[in-house]
Amino acid sequence: MASLTLNKIVKRFGSLQVISDVDLSVEKGEFVVFVGPSGCGKSTLLRMIAGLEAISGGELRIGSEVMNDVAPAQRGIAMVFQSYALYPHMSVRKNMAFALETAGLPKPEVEARVNKAAAILQIQNLLDRKPKQLSGGQRQRVAIGRAIVRDPQIFLFDEPLSNLDAELRVQMRVEIAKLHRELGATMIYVTHDQVEAMTMADKIVVLRLGKVEQIGAPLDLYNNPANQFVAGFIGSPKMNFLDATLLSSDETGSVVSLAGQSLRIPRGLAAVHEGRVQLGIRPEHAMLSSGDIALGQMEIVLVEHLGGNTLLYGKLSDGQTLTVQVEDQARLGMGDTVQIFANAARCHLFTGDGRAFAAV
Amino acid sequence: MSERAEERLPGVQYSRWSGIRKHTMLCCVSLVMLYPLLWMVSSSMKPENEIFTSASLFPSHFDLSAYKRGWFGLDVSFGRFFLNSLIVSVLSVIGNVMSCSLAAFAFARLRFPGRHLWFSLMLGTLMLPYHVVLIPQYILFLNLDWIDTFLPLVVPKFLACDAFFIFLMVQFFRGIPRELDEAARIDGCSAWRIYWKIMLPLSTPVLATAAIFSFIFTWDDFFAPLIYLGDPTHYTSQVALRSFIDSTNQSDWGGLFAMSSLAVIPVFVFFVFFQRLLIEGIATTGMKR
Amino acid sequence: MVGAAVQRQRAGRFVAMREGYGFLLPWFAGFFGLTLGPALFSLYLSFTKYDLVSDPRWIGMANYVRIATADAKFSQAMHVTFTYVFLAVPLKLAFALSIAMILNKGLRGLPIYRALFYLPSLLGGSVAIAILWREVFSADGLFNQVLAVFGIKGIGWVTTPETALYTLVLLTIWQFGSSMIIFLAGLRQIPQDMYEAASIDGASPRRQFFKITLPLLTPVIFFNAIVQTIDAFKAFTPSFIISEGTGGPVNSTLFYTLYLFQEAFAYFRMGYASALAWVLVMIIGSFTAVSFFMSRYWVHYDE
Ligand SMILES: Nc1ncnc2c1ncn2[C@@H]1O[C@H](COP(=O)(O)OP(=O)(O)O)[C@@H](O)[C@H]1O
Ligand SMILES: [Mg+2]
Repeated sequence: MASLTLNKIVKRFGSLQVISDVDLSVEKGEFVVFVGPSGCGKSTLLRMIAGLEAISGGELRIGSEVMNDVAPAQRGIAMVFQSYALYPHMSVRKNMAFALETAGLPKPEVEARVNKAAAILQIQNLLDRKPKQLSGGQRQRVAIGRAIVRDPQIFLFDEPLSNLDAELRVQMRVEIAKLHRELGATMIYVTHDQVEAMTMADKIVVLRLGKVEQIGAPLDLYNNPANQFVAGFIGSPKMNFLDATLLSSDETGSVVSLAGQSLRIPRGLAAVHEGRVQLGIRPEHAMLSSGDIALGQMEIVLVEHLGGNTLLYGKLSDGQTLTVQVEDQARLGMGDTVQIFANAARCHLFTGDGRAFAAV
Repeated sequence: MSERAEERLPGVQYSRWSGIRKHTMLCCVSLVMLYPLLWMVSSSMKPENEIFTSASLFPSHFDLSAYKRGWFGLDVSFGRFFLNSLIVSVLSVIGNVMSCSLAAFAFARLRFPGRHLWFSLMLGTLMLPYHVVLIPQYILFLNLDWIDTFLPLVVPKFLACDAFFIFLMVQFFRGIPRELDEAARIDGCSAWRIYWKIMLPLSTPVLATAAIFSFIFTWDDFFAPLIYLGDPTHYTSQVALRSFIDSTNQSDWGGLFAMSSLAVIPVFVFFVFFQRLLIEGIATTGMKR
Repeated sequence: MVGAAVQRQRAGRFVAMREGYGFLLPWFAGFFGLTLGPALFSLYLSFTKYDLVSDPRWIGMANYVRIATADAKFSQAMHVTFTYVFLAVPLKLAFALSIAMILNKGLRGLPIYRALFYLPSLLGGSVAIAILWREVFSADGLFNQVLAVFGIKGIGWVTTPETALYTLVLLTIWQFGSSMIIFLAGLRQIPQDMYEAASIDGASPRRQFFKITLPLLTPVIFFNAIVQTIDAFKAFTPSFIISEGTGGPVNSTLFYTLYLFQEAFAYFRMGYASALAWVLVMIIGSFTAVSFFMSRYWVHYDE
């Protein structure tokens, strides 16, 4: 049975609708990531699940129970806030024990659970400090510890890593993933960082303007984005979109014309569609040699050496810009011209209004 | 602040004299301002005949007899008056801090229908001159048979009638991250427990500020005790000082100054120990004293 | 199904109501019992004749008509109060601002000066200070002793009708400390880089004051002016103490509130005093309204 079900969830702030008809089902033990640009409603959605925002419409079930109007503490959830929200006047121990004490648990049990959680997170030596005396990473652990103690069915994380520096972020990412494996709990994790989403999620929910754009496993989203927004949002550097003209399309594939060349792409659309389309190619899938389709000549405008690979920014013969990522350190400079190739199977096609052509 | 004095910007002409001139001027202003206060204190220790004959701050010899004369200058001793003041002030502090923090928490943190309306009405009472409610309140307390007791002075404080303190606390509460309440809600806290376990412990600065100002305002209050207290044994120090002027036919100046000096001591003590808090309170809320 | 959901939603709202109104309970008691109720009752009383003994008798606008046309003491109180307000407040603010300006220029010892200047303002509301003031400006008081040093023979400043009010104005100015603190806080809000930019542009300190400091400080000045003015209209203790409750000499310190107090608690004309209170509300209210209207023309707000 699903551990969490959202059914046509709607949120309005006054007349402003910020979440529209979100449907989602989360399995027990799943790690689900809500991802999307800032302001798309990720936090709002999460807070509705937590019970911190009233639900304007639709139904929220945790387990089999409708939870729309149940108090946060009774939903079997725990939440880790972006700001950690540790109680500044309480020691780490007190912070972690607070929920259990509020629930009136006997002292020995409170102590045992706090110690166990502290052991999992290796923060036993911090228990008597105040939050102010902790580093960012340590606070993060305590915030997670406070959630663990409550032994919730579902963990909710709202951008928990965005206040950490890059190195710590990677480290904590790994730890949260490990924690997920160890606890086997359902986790819902909000981030605007698609790398976090890709690396941590069993299932990603891409949101935009309060609507679900696509739900799927990380690689599914990468390989078969449902639309141009998802294609652009997932993957880094961002996918190239080139204006092209659709010449023909059927269930075996489509033919497009780009800068005077006809390219056959193995993607099609049920409803026949003609006219302007967008050809999508990820920078890592554009090559300087040996692809099965040729995109023509590109003049290099800028080169970024990242060490392990190189980013080439250039202009195609028809003036469209393109980013190409090549392995290793390319000996190329501004003004050089190169021939660009790609594998048709890794190209994407989008209609003028952004829908993706399906792979055939 | 003082570090900034050390900094010297390139290309700007700094005159050493302008600094000295400013200090000289500020010292003169301070002296002129504080002189009356010092004069009051020193006069209380002068022999009676020197008070109005010498502007000097230094008595020819210290004479503390004025304190004794002043203390027993009225039918009831000043000990009684100061005790009354203390009772009324302490009760007011307790009442204000409790009732205003409850209301402020509701306004700052709870979402309930009508809160915007009540909040604007609360702000409206900030503007309402006390004189408008004075007479009906007097009639009310008269009918309750509360005249000549401390109740008219104290009970309003327990009913959050000093909207100013509510406002002060709302401002402070709003600065406490809302996530803390939300975390507490998830941890299973009721509104009461959030108020008691999270909000109040985190608000000690503003509670202290409110408490101190509440004490000072009540200690110095003259109008309400003047109206409500009739029997001299119930007088607060302020009303007692006033009847001191009447009763002595303006003869015992030493005693008057001695009791006046004593009456400002509590406020002065707060000034000495909590100056920072008071100054911050004024700077952030813009209050009038 | 839907019915159940609706019912539980109501339950949620009910909890929010209960919590909110529960916390406000003391305030509600105070608001209705000691503020709104009394205010409405006082409005009613202002249309009556009432002496606390017999029942209030409805006399319509008579109190207000008398205030407006036939009460010489009211005119005197208005005259005294307005003179006091419009002398004391601007002078106090000007003084507070000048001192704040001097202190703000990174002067060593700022905390000490700030504390010293603040002390009178903190103590100033008490009867003790009003008494002190009375004695400072009495015929053989401190002020005249100082004058005597320069060979000047002073008068009894508080007992002379022509000067009594001005001693009260001085008492108010003496308490400039809290306004000064607010100005200091306002000055510190002005970004330092504005001055740096202006210096680089070659603006003189004088020009910087008039083009940067003063405009950016207008909201604080406005705020201070409103608060202090309203407060000054309500001043009571000093005039009561200095005149021993009479408003004398010759009603020259008859503050509005003192007159109101006399009507209510010396003559027990509660209806008339209530009308006076509402006139005070109208004065303060219209003053505030006009100030806010005028502020559009001189107060500078970001945005
Ligand atoms: N309390 C609120 N009142 C009105 N609008 C809100 C409120 N909270 C959030 N919003 C709006 O809802 C939208 C989604 O916000 P949020 O969920 O915080 O976005 P995200 O977390 O994805 O960045 C934003 O446009 C935001 O302005
Ligand atoms: Mg967010």
